[in-house]
Amino acid sequence: MNASKTPGLIRERQERMAPYLLIAPAVIYYAIFWLFPVLNAISGSFLSAPLKQGGEWTLKNYAAVFTDSMFYRALINTAIIVVVSVSLEFVLAFALALLINKKFRGSSLFLFLAIIPMSLPAVAVGAMWNSGLATNGWLNSALVHLGILGEAEKIPFLAGGQGANILLIILVDAWQVIPFMMIILLSGMQGLKPEMAEAGRVFGGTRWQVLHKITIPMLKQTIVTAMILRIIAAIQIWLIIVMIFGFNRLPVLMEQIVVNVDLYTAETFFRKGMALSVLVALIVSLASVAYLKASGALGAKKEEAS
Amino acid sequence: MKFRALMTVLLILPALLFANGGAEEGDEPTRLVVSSRLYSQPGEQQFLIDEVFPAFEEANNCMVMFEIIEDEPLLKRAQFQKESGRVTTDVVVSHAGQMANWIRNDYVMPLPVDQWTDRTFSKAFTESISMNGQTYFAPVGGDVYLTLINKKAMPYMPTGVDPQDLRWEDYVNWAAAVAEGEGEGKAAVTGIPQKSLIYMYGGMFLSYGSDFPVINSPEAMEAWELLTKMQYAYTPTVNSYDNVSVPMKNGEAWMTVAHMVRCGDAYQSNPSAYILAPAPAGPKGIGSIAGTSGFAVVKGAPHPELAVKFIEYMTEPAMAVKVARGTGGFIPPIDEAIEQLGDSVQDEIIAKGIMVMKNGVVSGVPGGDYSSWGAVKQVYDDAFQELILKKGEVSTAYLNDAQDRIDALKK
Amino acid sequence: MTIPRPLFQAAQKTTLALLVTTVALTILFPLFFLFTFSLMSDYETYSEWPKPLWPHSQVRYRMEKISPQTTRLLIWNHGQSQWQPFGPEHIEANEEVAKKLSRFLTNYGNTTLSPSEILSHVQKAQNSGFHEFTAQKSLSQNYQRFFRLYSGAADAVLHSLSTALLTILISVVIGGMAGYAFARYVFKGKDVLKLSVLFVRMFPPVAIAIPMVVILGRMGLYDRPAGLSLIYSVNQIAMNIWITASIFMGIPESLEEAALIFGANKRGAFFRITLPLAVPGLAACAMYSFISSWNEVINALILTQFRPTFPVVVYKSLLGANAQVHLIAAGSIAQAAPAILFTLIIRRYLLQMWGGVKV
Repeated sequence: MNASKTPGLIRERQERMAPYLLIAPAVIYYAIFWLFPVLNAISGSFLSAPLKQGGEWTLKNYAAVFTDSMFYRALINTAIIVVVSVSLEFVLAFALALLINKKFRGSSLFLFLAIIPMSLPAVAVGAMWNSGLATNGWLNSALVHLGILGEAEKIPFLAGGQGANILLIILVDAWQVIPFMMIILLSGMQGLKPEMAEAGRVFGGTRWQVLHKITIPMLKQTIVTAMILRIIAAIQIWLIIVMIFGFNRLPVLMEQIVVNVDLYTAETFFRKGMALSVLVALIVSLASVAYLKASGALGAKKEEAS
Repeated sequence: MKFRALMTVLLILPALLFANGGAEEGDEPTRLVVSSRLYSQPGEQQFLIDEVFPAFEEANNCMVMFEIIEDEPLLKRAQFQKESGRVTTDVVVSHAGQMANWIRNDYVMPLPVDQWTDRTFSKAFTESISMNGQTYFAPVGGDVYLTLINKKAMPYMPTGVDPQDLRWEDYVNWAAAVAEGEGEGKAAVTGIPQKSLIYMYGGMFLSYGSDFPVINSPEAMEAWELLTKMQYAYTPTVNSYDNVSVPMKNGEAWMTVAHMVRCGDAYQSNPSAYILAPAPAGPKGIGSIAGTSGFAVVKGAPHPELAVKFIEYMTEPAMAVKVARGTGGFIPPIDEAIEQLGDSVQDEIIAKGIMVMKNGVVSGVPGGDYSSWGAVKQVYDDAFQELILKKGEVSTAYLNDAQDRIDALKK
Repeated sequence: MTIPRPLFQAAQKTTLALLVTTVALTILFPLFFLFTFSLMSDYETYSEWPKPLWPHSQVRYRMEKISPQTTRLLIWNHGQSQWQPFGPEHIEANEEVAKKLSRFLTNYGNTTLSPSEILSHVQKAQNSGFHEFTAQKSLSQNYQRFFRLYSGAADAVLHSLSTALLTILISVVIGGMAGYAFARYVFKGKDVLKLSVLFVRMFPPVAIAIPMVVILGRMGLYDRPAGLSLIYSVNQIAMNIWITASIFMGIPESLEEAALIFGANKRGAFFRITLPLAVPGLAACAMYSFISSWNEVINALILTQFRPTFPVVVYKSLLGANAQVHLIAAGSIAQAAPAILFTLIIRRYLLQMWGGVKV
């Protein structure tokens, strides 16, 4: 109960064990619920059929992925969506968080509003944008009401090409995600002491210098966390794409897994889907490690954090 | 300490509910669990619960627990229940397109159809329900394809055409005339891949004498020739249609040949604004793909005998007639029931559907012959994009290639 | 700077106000339409162009005599400012037809007119050639649908609530512990462990969904909505580890050390100093855990049968709402409301973000 009363040696041992003990529940949790299905999926991606049914080890599933032109289209679309949406969302969310990071009248209401887009169920988001983007939808109606469009000149939002479609998805995603990013960044900013920024300004720093030299470095941990979670989530955007454009129209990696596993269903497609899953996990891992390396978060020592 | 209070609530509430959730049920009458993709409209469910189930429940001292769930999660739940050894579903109602998956994965049991001598499952619907000489599904809720036209398109109707007796060339010319007159196309199909485009076009190919799902037969080529004239007749947003009743209702589209439920959804919302007709005819008459759902007993079900009894009860011709009258929107896929309904139906949608059934060339969905029906659908979706929307002309080479892709999926 | 200070401050204030308003409007704009739809009838949703910004509370109808036996019904279309045919092409004056029309007007016009009222309107039209009347529109009709057919909706809310609270409990405690370890200790394998936690979120859930729920089923947790929280926690723990780690890192360790000097033990220092400081961050974690658990449908559909969660109930009642976006809007708002209410409650903790932290 009382750590200070235990003899030094044991206490030191406890100190050394402490992080492992704290992490143990999470590790055990994942060992039970997550590890087995994942190992199953990984081994399944190298089999032609279940072992019990005489399946053989093979690389065919991966070959099937790499010879599928949809895979490459999906890869490119995913890359575009991730790069554009993550950077756009981050810059906007960060700017907003910086500007709003002070108490103002109605800040409580504003914060509440900002959370709402995240808390909507997928079906609501789908219904909202489907009915909004339709040519006779509310977006065009609103433009007519505002006097921007005449009644006869509607914009066919959904008739655009691949590029326009990607742009729509990025905007729809941004609407939902920017408030979320902003809140994570704001929650990090609460730890910042205003005196430090003030001190920077007193010593003649410009606003930009204060931001660059003081605020951002101090917020680094929060930024890295927000970014990494966002990158992973952005690679996995698919439901809203399917709700607006359907399957196979604007292929992205995650959606292609669903197409193979849930839509084509046959054994060969299912296993191709597993191979694709492993590849996607690999791609996400590489992207995250690359990002973490670049941001210097890996191998970072504690002093950087506090 | 508000925080501590909050934590206490957080701890206690779930604990209480966990305990509550674990309580065992007392002895109630047997619960027959029916999970269905069909009859999702609240009115339809109410009709079944009020008018159809009580007689069965009384005769067998049981309770029918009827729940609505889509095909995909239904299949996933079957997989989950089988693999975790906790089968709690007795009867499922699946769509024909999914039946092969149910049978192949060994989730359902064969039905004793030989003993049911008083009913004949209509031929158009039997393709998917059996495999290897065993029948696993009892069909229910048949559907065919109909034409739906917004009356705003009437001024463009080619002369001498009767909308109730359309031919495909009339439909195509009409759609082209609308597009020219309005400055933009007003015809709709499900442009979103993996939906029903294959059935819309497949039915047309049948009316030209082709087989389903052959894409490059000489007869199908004839149909393609006609279809490519529709390059500009479709709405600009056709690629975003998942369900054609939406653009038909909001006026983006004025004409479509679609699944009778889709046509029905729009037609019922304002009958005076639309004309509902059978699907257009080709040289061989009206062609249509017929879809159906089907009842099956889940393997390992808690009450298998009762489940079989229930299916027997539901597919009796007299009951099928009663359900068709009470729910609307679907054709009973049982010959005796169609006979009994005859021309007496008031429901416009069922009446037009039966016309197609009786006078048309109708084919089922041979999903079981292909390793992946979804991949076959995609071939049609791709051909639509390439030949109709993009090129506007038929390419024999492309269609031969497409047929090869379909054949490669054949078992 | 040469700008006078008061002027500068005023400009700053205005800019902030403008910015906040713009952002708030951008967020609200689509939500507003979703809400408007949820109050509209099928006719308003689909046949009005441009769509009304606000639903009308009354519907104007007009009956016209076609022949001595038949009448037709028209409805006033606000968008096009004209009468348009509505319902069947012609109405005969008999009980059966009136009943059918009454049902139609309820379903597609959200107006309640009894068959006898309809017959009397028909009579008036027959007498004078045409007859106009208005009917009150029900604004709550789309919402009622979810509670009419499904009697277990209230139970389902309870199931969902317990699932969500348990998810918060599991994921915040387990995640927070690991997060604290990552923030405060230097130990072997830290980077690898932290990355592998991330990897949990990287593996596509579609590929492992079924085997994962099968494990739960074998443990006997089938059809216990609270058991669902074990599945929901899988994804949530990983996220919470990262969020809490960054939060704990932001809290200076020197505060804890100071407490130790003043005689507190390590545990006491944590509970009295660090934890209260971390509450806003933990509240954010709790909020995200709640929202993701509350909105989940796919696993809940597979794992429940007699004790569905609320989203499952909404999902099932929406299956019949094909091409009826006003019903889908009502359903999704009904589903989102409790989650939004929860954020309203937890907002006070999040709010500590503003105006600094009281130590």
